Amino acid sequence: MDKIWGKKPRKSDKKKKGTSNYAYAVTRVRAMKSKLLPKETYPRLMNMGIDEITRFIQESEYKNDIDELAMKYSGADLAEHALNRNLALTYAKLLLITAGEPNYLISEYLRRYDIWNIKTLLRGKQYNASEEEILETLISAGELTYTTLSELAAMESYEEIIEALNETDYYPLLQEEYDGTNLAYIENELDKMYYSGLFGVIGKPRSKDRKLFARFIKLEVDAKNMGTLFRLKKAGVEQLDEIMPLMIEGGLELNTEKLASLPYEEFVEALRKTRYWDAISGVMVPDMDSLTGLECRLLKFSLESATTYSHVSPISIVPIMDYIIYKNNEVNNLRIIFRGKEAGLEDELIKDQLVVI
Amino acid sequence: MVLQDVKPTRSELINLKRRIKLSESGHKLLKMKRDGLILEFFKILNEARNVRTELDAAFVLATDKINLASAVNGVVAVKSTAFSTKENPEIELSGHNIMGVFVPKINSTGVRKPLYERGYGIIGTNAYIDETADAFEDLVEKIITAAELETTMKRLLNEIEKTKRRVNALEFKVIPELIDTMKFIRFALEEVERESTFRLKRVKARQQ
Repeated sequence: MDKIWGKKPRKSDKKKKGTSNYAYAVTRVRAMKSKLLPKETYPRLMNMGIDEITRFIQESEYKNDIDELAMKYSGADLAEHALNRNLALTYAKLLLITAGEPNYLISEYLRRYDIWNIKTLLRGKQYNASEEEILETLISAGELTYTTLSELAAMESYEEIIEALNETDYYPLLQEEYDGTNLAYIENELDKMYYSGLFGVIGKPRSKDRKLFARFIKLEVDAKNMGTLFRLKKAGVEQLDEIMPLMIEGGLELNTEKLASLPYEEFVEALRKTRYWDAISGVMVPDMDSLTGLECRLLKFSLESATTYSHVSPISIVPIMDYIIYKNNEVNNLRIIFRGKEAGLEDELIKDQLVVI
Repeated sequence: MVLQDVKPTRSELINLKRRIKLSESGHKLLKMKRDGLILEFFKILNEARNVRTELDAAFVLATDKINLASAVNGVVAVKSTAFSTKENPEIELSGHNIMGVFVPKINSTGVRKPLYERGYGIIGTNAYIDETADAFEDLVEKIITAAELETTMKRLLNEIEKTKRRVNALEFKVIPELIDTMKFIRFALEEVERESTFRLKRVKARQQ
């Protein structure tokens, strides 16, 4: 575990310097959080039809995004793209109103979107998708701006994209390892790189707020690792040397190496002793046909746990992270309701997927 | 066959007899082929009916799965993950003969892939994506099986229809017409014979 704290400085570490403006940033974030939909809204939305929900979203904070994109999309596609656009703009705003340490921490946290976009660009080039198709699947909520991403999407080959990323932290991995055929491996490595980078940035947490931030990330890592273990075991992957490269280091409680080596029944038995059991026990059946229920419960658990301590350290990164989680969750919930309703999914199934925190 | 065009000769009669015999044996063979094809058709029909039911169920499941994955992850994520498909399934077409009907045999490779060979990273995706991919792999397999069976059925049906038309044509048109013609020639020949007998009798009577 120690080896993942305090990794070598990254190219973006210069951002760490500068005066932190926690007081100002937290005040702005509180004002932004007050505009989020209250949790009572979701049952109301569940009783509405598609048109009513569209109308509701049009009259909310997403009005501008809907208006901007209405020429290009319609129906659930419009709603989804508007929600993504709003999320990207909100995160961009967070980066604008913060300075020094909070800015650094947020931008590191939002690197997940950069990684997502790089993966999408590489996938798109491998599939020979058109520039338009690739652009539609990008979410410019990270450091890479929409203009940069558009330029990357317009490039002819993955080699050009990798070359264009030569100023980023992803370049060495992409340049040395990606040969155009091992995308799955590169995707996994990028994801692991994200978490190890994040842990490196958090450093050895000493203050209460850093500990809470680290705890949130560790919970996420545990949830991801547990989900991956279930998926691999269901797929019949038993070899430790096949499982371990897919595990993210730095989880809160799970001993991934031990769990990976256990056969399915013993693996489930070992999970009984963890804090996650209460969250997942309701969906655990001997022969798990579907793992979606389990993943949904794990997500709910990690988000609920992350927001439980949001009142601690009021002038720190915690309220900002809390807002990021709430905002992301709001976007997810709205998309689930919209898409679910449009596809005619049962109300109970839609409700099960919602995380109301 | 128009009766006026027929030359009422003995060689024509022999020819006709030969043709009737051939038509009757052809009719018998075609009837046997039709019955055989119908038997094969019904055998495949049950199989095809089951596959079609399974295909419908697989389609509903795959649609539900992709709808759920699109709702939870977003269409953007599902589409992006779909881009990572490394190789397309390959289909190999061969065929075999059922009573002279060439029916296809479709062999597919690379439809069902293990989780770690699908082309997308495991860490950045989730079970919603896996289950959607599973459901669509199953759907493609069912489509291939259904395509094979339904094409076989279609070809058998065409052949049954064609054979039935031939059997009916032989049974109700060709053979009766040939028999009528044969009767006509036989009658004409008898008539000629009677005429010549009568002529002989008249000649004989005149001589006496």
